[in-house]
Amino acid sequence: MATVTAPTVRTGLPGLLKHRALAKLVLIALAAAVLIPVVNARWASGSWPDALTVDLSEPLGRASDWIIDNRDSHPLFLYFFGHISNAVVLSVRAVYLVLLAAGWAGVTAAAALVAWRTAGLKLALGTGLAFLTCGLLGMWVPTMQTLALMVVAVLASVVLGALLGLAAGLSDRTYRALRPVLDTMQVLPAFAYLLPVVLVFGIGVPAAVLATVVYAAPPMARLTALGLRGADQGVLEAVESLGTTARQRLMTARLPLARKELLLGLNQTIMMALSMAVIASVIGAGGLGDRVYQALASVDVGAALAAGIPIVLLAVVLDRVTAAAGDRLGGDGPETSGRLRALQWGGAAVLAVAAAIAARLAGRLDWPEAWVVNIAEPVNRAVDWMTAHLYSGVPYIGGTADWAGHFTTWVLDPLRSGLQGLPWWSVLLIVATLAWLIGTWQTALTAVLAMAGIGVLGVWQSSLDTLSQVLAAVAVTLVLGLATGIAAARSDRVERLLRPVLDVFQTMPQFVYLIPVVALFGVGRAPAVAAAVVYALPAVVRITTQGLRQVDPAALESARSLGASSGQQLRQVQLPLARPALLLAVNQGVVLVLAVVIIGGLVGGGALGYDVVFGLAQGDLATGLVAGVAIVCLGLVLDRVTQPTERRRTTKGA
Amino acid sequence: MSTLTTPAATDTAVDAPVFSVENLWKVFGPKADRVPADPELTALAPAELRSRTGCTAAVRDVSFDVRKGEVFVVMGLSGSGKSTLVRCLTRLIEPTSGRIAIDGEDVLGMDKARLRELRRHRASMVFQHFGLLPHRSVLDNVAYGLEVQGMGKAERRARAKEIVAKVGLEGMEQRRPGQLSGGQQQRVGLARALAVDPQVLLFDEPFSALDPLIRRDMQEEVVRLHREEGRTMVFITHDLNEALKLGDRIALMRDGQVVQLGTPEEIVGSPADDYVREFVREVPREQVMTVRTAMRPPESADEAGRGPAVAPDVTVSEAIEAVARTGTAARVVDDGRCLGVVDSDALLGVVAGTNTGTNGAAPKPASAVPAQATGSKAKADTKADAGEEVV
Repeated sequence: MATVTAPTVRTGLPGLLKHRALAKLVLIALAAAVLIPVVNARWASGSWPDALTVDLSEPLGRASDWIIDNRDSHPLFLYFFGHISNAVVLSVRAVYLVLLAAGWAGVTAAAALVAWRTAGLKLALGTGLAFLTCGLLGMWVPTMQTLALMVVAVLASVVLGALLGLAAGLSDRTYRALRPVLDTMQVLPAFAYLLPVVLVFGIGVPAAVLATVVYAAPPMARLTALGLRGADQGVLEAVESLGTTARQRLMTARLPLARKELLLGLNQTIMMALSMAVIASVIGAGGLGDRVYQALASVDVGAALAAGIPIVLLAVVLDRVTAAAGDRLGGDGPETSGRLRALQWGGAAVLAVAAAIAARLAGRLDWPEAWVVNIAEPVNRAVDWMTAHLYSGVPYIGGTADWAGHFTTWVLDPLRSGLQGLPWWSVLLIVATLAWLIGTWQTALTAVLAMAGIGVLGVWQSSLDTLSQVLAAVAVTLVLGLATGIAAARSDRVERLLRPVLDVFQTMPQFVYLIPVVALFGVGRAPAVAAAVVYALPAVVRITTQGLRQVDPAALESARSLGASSGQQLRQVQLPLARPALLLAVNQGVVLVLAVVIIGGLVGGGALGYDVVFGLAQGDLATGLVAGVAIVCLGLVLDRVTQPTERRRTTKGA
Repeated sequence: MSTLTTPAATDTAVDAPVFSVENLWKVFGPKADRVPADPELTALAPAELRSRTGCTAAVRDVSFDVRKGEVFVVMGLSGSGKSTLVRCLTRLIEPTSGRIAIDGEDVLGMDKARLRELRRHRASMVFQHFGLLPHRSVLDNVAYGLEVQGMGKAERRARAKEIVAKVGLEGMEQRRPGQLSGGQQQRVGLARALAVDPQVLLFDEPFSALDPLIRRDMQEEVVRLHREEGRTMVFITHDLNEALKLGDRIALMRDGQVVQLGTPEEIVGSPADDYVREFVREVPREQVMTVRTAMRPPESADEAGRGPAVAPDVTVSEAIEAVARTGTAARVVDDGRCLGVVDSDALLGVVAGTNTGTNGAAPKPASAVPAQATGSKAKADTKADAGEEVV
């Protein structure tokens, strides 16, 4: 009965689009012709005019001073933030103590048993091995610190996210209000979240936990809302026809029907939380991230790797176990009886406790010193060897440092000086044109305002520096990613080979990517770009492959039946039909690249990321905050400029 | 012949209708309320209404009664408003105006609790796309309606088990809906609706998504259930053959209006307008029309005393068989009284479509007016018994 009205606009689109694009271009050209002479006469061209800059460092500095002065006395802090802060510290501490009391044997056993119950024997084995490796690397205590912080942050994120998602899933108005906020939060680099929480809570565990919660809650909220809204209307109607109350509908139908999305949300929240918990070492999170951070600061690749491996293992284990749990619950397997399940869980709990007690009785509560394998030294020796032999002077191909140097002087430098040399209004014009051509006038307006905001904040130059790195990295990412994606879409063998690699790469926290690039390229802007490329590549490859593979087989078949060669099929059928996916790949590529380029400030990437780190390190919150806001603006600009129109965006949620 | 299997059906005439629908309107669109109230707007054709007001009238001024124990079929093509209509009956879709009564109680005036009670106990629905809960076993799906009512676990499972057996799904209680075929899933849907023991079963195109063979099985299942329990059913379909097979009475809808309401025989025998005529053109008339319409008064006492006897509600095709076998005209006998005679000319006339009945009591082309029912009969019975009766 309910005839689905497909968007009829699609049919005449190409012709229409050309006209519309042309019209937009003409309009922009007209506006430019009128405005540019005026602007030029009023303020000089070149870099952003000083007259339009607002110096925020002083008021911000005052605000930060005020907060620091009043942190212990003002009622807002005493009765609100203070309680939050205390609660966070207490709960993290409590979890940490429990983990320590369980000892390495207890924790490993418990983790493996939980993995066994939710995800099967193979993953249980993997989980156990992963935890043992953390111990072997001498990282047991930092791992537990990170885990304790994660447990608290994930719990809080899930509760917060689920509540927001519930509200947005049940009320249209809340959904409309919340969606743009969540969408935007998901494109912002992690670094942008650090400064505001530091301003309120100071450097330390509470700030780290709260930054993590704010960063990790949106996917949970988003997916909860999506799941509740996407529930099969037929089922809901049937359930309503049986005379259910609204509460019964929610508990017996809507929530169970959204289980898959809820678990996916949990999975994403955990991954984001881990990513942030590691980055938050910059604001005092401690744990594994701190070890990596300290090691990178002294370019000690071996130590960084020893802390980095546990992070990767933790990420892979958490991802696989939650994903497998999701698949299991979503599956159609026959129901196991509740008693059997309770029995198995009970058995698992007993085993875990037994392991913990056994270790305690054996006097091996802490990971024994003798079992620690020190990998830092051999790794550093290998890195030294690499520095000596691979950095430069390798016949014909040069060396990694040479490449980095060439990339910097031939690509990054010209790009940066080119961008910085552009008249400021032309940058705005380019942003407006791109955003409007790809999106709507609203996205264009947001993008232009955000770009102007960067100028007003007075960080025009360093933002363009960051932008140049982003552009270079995106270009490399897209060339590599699209090529690989096309190859994977056309050959099953390539896809089979790539899949496990992509799986692992997509689960690793951003921070970890900095370690190998420092080993290979030293410090500077080129390694930051390299890390960004490696980080963004898997997502781009994956989206491209999926997009190409999901092209309507009937269209492809009819092209084949007309005798199209495989090149023609690709160019004339697959690529045009996969356009939405390709645009999405660009968008995701840009967002991911930005996130890592910013973090690249830690390894000599300079620009905005460095400003944030500098602000934190020097206690100069004003500089850091301004840079943080600029990062937000840049994120908005880049997202909006590459954001396909609303109609196509709907595919993103799927 | 007329051994009615259920006591409920015998006193049809005395009982008040189960559902009584009067001047029902459902208009979708902005400020839908004004449309039924404004005679100028109600006179508009659907396209015009849409362009004038932006509203679509899915159900336009529909009235009918559903009698106790009958299978009432609402039939129409997609977009004719039939699914909206059946959802209005339990207010899954809120009607715009009109009156609906169940057992004389006003449905539109019910508060939330009363409406829930109606949905829980009095009318339950079977859906085209089943609407099963994918995370529950077959048994728990069937028991769901009882769970919603607050029945205890053991009790509702025991009850569900009985119903599962009744619809022929023994041994599948622990499977998930995803592991069942379409036909089996719809059996679960049917069982879920039956489990609450409702007064009325509402079917919304329940078999449209099924393969033809499975569909026939399921139709027979419904016929069987109706024969065994005599439950009142409202059945929505777009398949004319299904409508003719199952319906005691059929309401044919077009553009939200009922264009004809009557027994299958009336619809096929005397279509109310060209639309209906076009609709029923392909129907094998001899299988729908009965000898009651085809017969003529006996010309002589001799004719009234000779030839095979057939009951008045035997179909023409069955009478043809009898006439062909004996070579003489057949007598239409009811309670030992000869009502008339059908000879091969009259029967051929029905098949050819030239004879719509010489009988004076030809069905009147009823529109929204509830037509005379020929009594609630379970059709499978008719056919099964007819073979013995003839000769």
